[in-house]
Amino acid sequence: MATLSVENLTYVYGEKSPFQKTAIEDVTFSAKSGEIIGVIGHTGSGKSTLVQHFNGLLKANSGKVLLDGADIWENPKEIRKIRFKIGMVFQYPEYQLFEETVYKDIAFGPTNMGLSAEDINKRVLDTAQMLGITAEMLEKSPFDLSGGEKRRVAIAGVMAMQPEIIVFDEPTAGLDPAGRDIVLEKIKEYRDRTGALVFIVSHSMEDMARVADKLLVMNSGHLSMFDTVKKVFSNPQKLKKIGLNVPQVTKVFSALKEKGIPVDENVFTVNDAVSYLLSFLKGGKNND
Amino acid sequence: MIKDITFGQYFPAKSIIHRLDPRIKLVLSLMFIIFIFVAQNAVSLAFIGTLTLLFVLISRVPVSLFLKNIKAILFVIILTSVLNALYVTTGNVLLEFWIIKITADGVKRALFMSARIIILIISSSLLTYTTTPTELTDAIERLLKPLRFIGLGEAVHVMAMMITIALRFIPTLIEETDKIMSAQKARGADLESGTLFERIKALIPILVPLLISSVRRAYDLAEAMECRCYNGGSGRQRMKQLKLAGRDYLSLAVLVVCMSAIIAFNIIF
Repeated sequence: MATLSVENLTYVYGEKSPFQKTAIEDVTFSAKSGEIIGVIGHTGSGKSTLVQHFNGLLKANSGKVLLDGADIWENPKEIRKIRFKIGMVFQYPEYQLFEETVYKDIAFGPTNMGLSAEDINKRVLDTAQMLGITAEMLEKSPFDLSGGEKRRVAIAGVMAMQPEIIVFDEPTAGLDPAGRDIVLEKIKEYRDRTGALVFIVSHSMEDMARVADKLLVMNSGHLSMFDTVKKVFSNPQKLKKIGLNVPQVTKVFSALKEKGIPVDENVFTVNDAVSYLLSFLKGGKNND
Repeated sequence: MIKDITFGQYFPAKSIIHRLDPRIKLVLSLMFIIFIFVAQNAVSLAFIGTLTLLFVLISRVPVSLFLKNIKAILFVIILTSVLNALYVTTGNVLLEFWIIKITADGVKRALFMSARIIILIISSSLLTYTTTPTELTDAIERLLKPLRFIGLGEAVHVMAMMITIALRFIPTLIEETDKIMSAQKARGADLESGTLFERIKALIPILVPLLISSVRRAYDLAEAMECRCYNGGSGRQRMKQLKLAGRDYLSLAVLVVCMSAIIAFNIIF
């Protein structure tokens, strides 16, 4: 079990220069193992800056990040150990691949952790299997793979470290629909297997409706909402005001309701919509 | 962090110096630097120092930025002062100790040299603070245009284009390096400790992705340029036409007057 708490976090870019900009201001929240938290917000709202504080890649000007109640900066020399507990998959992570073979690249993180050769081998093979990376692919150069495959290899490189908390920054950006599905499914699978706390920074309300349990909404550096997906999406006015929206299918249902058709507005994914509408066909009444 | 490296230190502000034609600014700066060395006595050097200070104030660039540049070469200033003070052994002896002999002339010489270096740094930073790197390359390209008469027209254009592209991509590459470093640090890469050999080895996870993305970027850029029918310098026109305005002629005139004053001071005093 791991708990991540953020207390009054404030970060200013380029302090005391003509380009000074407050990226996040006074952000406070707390999350615990087993949750998938979607971090959403307009471009430049401070999402990426916020998550880079979790494993100490950025150091806040004021405020704290607590892992299980202890400040991650308590002992600055031990920050690497924190990074083994809190993994981070950056935007377009395939651009960080560098080894000769996929196997070696996935092993980079576990090797840095100082694990035994046996442990490293087991972790690499387990993670590869979970992410559908075949034995044949493991021996290839990562630069010979397709875009979606590269992305999975890069994600495997972080998952092989088996962090208790894992952050994904736009994990599905630039992937085709099939690639998106696989990545989201694998993230969920990782959570189910390890009980980790997962953060996903995303622009896609549809993706978030599918995988997230809670949503953390950022607006120009401030924490605007932190609640269950249902509660956040039931407030479309507030979301629109900060340049966000509810999923497409939810819009369809609210439009239906406005036209006087008595349907439930709290439908966030296409799958939910299908089963909701099918229930009308079967029983003639809705299941609420 | 790596982001702290400033390159092309342009400082945006609204001043007549910012608005001057970059060609004029470049020529004026070069002439100004030559005249720092033409100034032979205290009066003319004081005059040129006062002028520099005046230009700094007009430019509206914070004085602290200039001080930062002087601080960066403080060691050179101190070293030249010490060497000058030691080597000049004429005049009244102020201090004599073992083989070291400090004289009034030596101290004078040291102060004079330090003042020269400081003025040199301030005036050249004034150019880079008030001119964007693109403007500067533009100016260089235009000033070297006469080289076309000896068949180097295309070469000048290619050089200018290369400098422009290089300058354009420095911030991008810094950002990219920063990102890759963060990503590898998140995977537990240790960049800060270990023996020299270990540290060099630790750079591989940074350099390989950086090299690959640079090559990819170069291809993308080349394709984008070809798509827009770029085929070298001949017959190209500019979006930003450099045109001399009244203020440019005025500043030229001011400089000529100042330069004559320096020569006069050199002779009189």
